[in-house]
Amino acid sequence: MKFSINRAAFIKELNNVSRAISSKTTIPILTGIKIVASDAGLLLTGSNADISIESLIRADDPDIGLTIDEPGAIVLTARFFSEIVKRLPEQTMTVTVKDAFQTEITSGSAAFNINGQDANNYPHLPEVDAADSVVLSGAVFKELISQTVIAVSNQESRPILTGVHFVLADNQFLAVATDSHRLSQRQIELPTPSSAAFDVIIPGKSLTELSRMIGDDDSDVKMQFSENQVLFLLGDTSFYSRLLEGNYPDTSRLIPKDASTTVEFEAPELLAAVERASLLSHESRNNVVKLTLTPADNQVTIFSNSPDVGNVEEALDPKEITGDDLEISFNPDYMKDALRSFGQTTIRVAFTSALRPFTLVPTEDTSNFIQLITPVRTF
Amino acid sequence: MEKQEVYDQFKQLEGQIQEVLAQFTDLQAEMTQVFEQNAELEIENQHLRDLLRELQRDLPEAPETPQGLSKSRQILEKLYEEGFHVCREFYGTRRKQDEECAFCLEVIYRDQ
Repeated sequence: MKFSINRAAFIKELNNVSRAISSKTTIPILTGIKIVASDAGLLLTGSNADISIESLIRADDPDIGLTIDEPGAIVLTARFFSEIVKRLPEQTMTVTVKDAFQTEITSGSAAFNINGQDANNYPHLPEVDAADSVVLSGAVFKELISQTVIAVSNQESRPILTGVHFVLADNQFLAVATDSHRLSQRQIELPTPSSAAFDVIIPGKSLTELSRMIGDDDSDVKMQFSENQVLFLLGDTSFYSRLLEGNYPDTSRLIPKDASTTVEFEAPELLAAVERASLLSHESRNNVVKLTLTPADNQVTIFSNSPDVGNVEEALDPKEITGDDLEISFNPDYMKDALRSFGQTTIRVAFTSALRPFTLVPTEDTSNFIQLITPVRTF
Repeated sequence: MEKQEVYDQFKQLEGQIQEVLAQFTDLQAEMTQVFEQNAELEIENQHLRDLLRELQRDLPEAPETPQGLSKSRQILEKLYEEGFHVCREFYGTRRKQDEECAFCLEVIYRDQ
């Protein structure tokens, strides 16, 4: 195998594929990156047990300056290979595989000789057929991930809740995540009617990695499924993730249908107030802020107390408030995560009682995006 | 100190530590048992009081909770407040650091 390539373009793809490679893996060959040179171009593969990333560098793209002198395949230890490529002196580099998987990397007058491994020993990527697929714009998909992934659980003792539950039915694409303390649900109507239907749980960590790979150019993301794998296609890059097995708990029943008190705020203003109050709540043992609502006087007060440090009280300026008086306590960190996901918009907060979860929705679209937070019981 | 003596002392110390560990485990088991018994007795006591109240109608009624929960839901609520999950997903496991659980709250307060 022998090829030469423009280093800058190569590093970009190398970085993408390296996201999947971990130095801590039980299968030694997975610490390597697989490089396959063919007439079509250069195919890079990186994998850990959970996610695999495959990227094709096309030979016919003049910006990349790829020339394949001899086709072939090799596996090189990713850690060394990336470091070497990043530090080579010249703009272009050449990789030559010699006998016994010895690989020579040259650029200018620098020459590295490193030991490679037989590419035939590299595990095969799963086969994913194209039967049920969904295409979404990159920006929409990225937003969907950032809005839901905040609510996934990071406790490995509840494996099913470490994923985001995706359901496609009747052209409605629903994503929901909960760690049982809070919940985030986003629904999108597919722009093009689709008869596809699925019900899967994708690990939150995979989605976080995936969203980092979706560029700002807003190109489409295509999603395909097999029995236990999901495949995301982003241009010439394929991102595979395993699915979580099991049944996701029914979350629709968690969302209260009616409210006894509702109040509207500008999300950034409420966020700023909660951030101020949490300065003190973080110092106390139970990390709680208290909201007191008096609709009759158009008043909302936020309060936090930390016995060792002091307390904070702030009168908020609700845009609209109706319903019964209420005093409710909650964890400000959940509130901050939820409010950040709304960005610059007006939100409606709906309470049923001091003991039951409350919801936040944007006022301009009250049915497609909802955040739910469980209050803290104080006695 | 002779080498033998150091060795003996280590042996002795090891024995002592093991003894303390055994005592500790015993005490822990004992304590768990007492707690369990206490919880059982409390529930038993509650049941007996309820029975007594039913037998003697003239005693004052149990205070209604503000949500008007049924008796079985009150028991669930009590379990939840004692720090256990009552939801289908995690039933009976301890709520770590008294974390709140939306699934449990739904079970306790869902509309009848």
